Amino acid sequence: MTADAAAEWTPLCAPMRVAVDAAQAARYAREIGADPSAAPLSFPAVWLAQPVLRAAIAQICEEADAVPVHEAQRFQYAAPLTLGAHYELAVALRREEKPPRLVLQATVTTPEGAPVGRCETTLRIVPRAGLPKKDAA
Amino acid sequence: MSAPLPPPEPGERLPAMEIGPFDAAALARYAEVSGDDNPLHLDDALAAKIGFPAPPVHGMKLLAAFEPMLKAWRSDFFIAELGGTFVQPVLRGDKVTLTGRVLRVSPEEGVFVRLYAHGSSRAPAIMADATLRPAPSGGNS
Repeated sequence: MTADAAAEWTPLCAPMRVAVDAAQAARYAREIGADPSAAPLSFPAVWLAQPVLRAAIAQICEEADAVPVHEAQRFQYAAPLTLGAHYELAVALRREEKPPRLVLQATVTTPEGAPVGRCETTLRIVPRAGLPKKDAA
Repeated sequence: MSAPLPPPEPGERLPAMEIGPFDAAALARYAEVSGDDNPLHLDDALAAKIGFPAPPVHGMKLLAAFEPMLKAWRSDFFIAELGGTFVQPVLRGDKVTLTGRVLRVSPEEGVFVRLYAHGSSRAPAIMADATLRPAPSGGNS
């Protein structure tokens, strides 16, 4: 097992209650070309864009003078999401060093604790100094 | 009542799906509804500063588009897993072609499908995969 693989997951924030709001899910579905009468499997992307999570990632990147680049994304489900349903969302973070990455793992369960799904977001951490610049403006 | 479809077979190609091109309004709508308002996708000047001739489309918007493609192919299956790597950006104004091919089928694993999203360049924009299993009650809800 590599050192990266053995790196520990640390909670990024307290577990939170989320919902598949039917109207929001329908709008999201239309933008990805999906059926607006069903919950898109990628809808947790909306939950992961919440300010509390983004702020935590932004702080890590700021400290590293780097920007996050979305490198990979995965959704796994034991059961499909349901329109109107509420879920518990727990998000943990793991850092990888070579190359630098942040991996977010979001676990979705029912309020009773039954597993529903898991989402993994991989962010490549790119130093600002390494970004191409077309001009200095 | 229609007869059940035969199970997918390894090597079977999914019908290709074309999506886009996405204009600035489409990217702004996706940013608003998804919460991913990274200015890189919305700001021409910022995209140019980083070296893009136009803002890149949100990778998540493209990965998510595999779901309707997969459901159009086999609505009798539940998408148990979908994941992908964003290899290179698709720029605003590009058409995108989604393709897929069944690699493996087994009772234990389900139907494993390799997926690609191609923009205007030869290399794929997204390399993805999905695992489908028979829907317990007629498809994702």
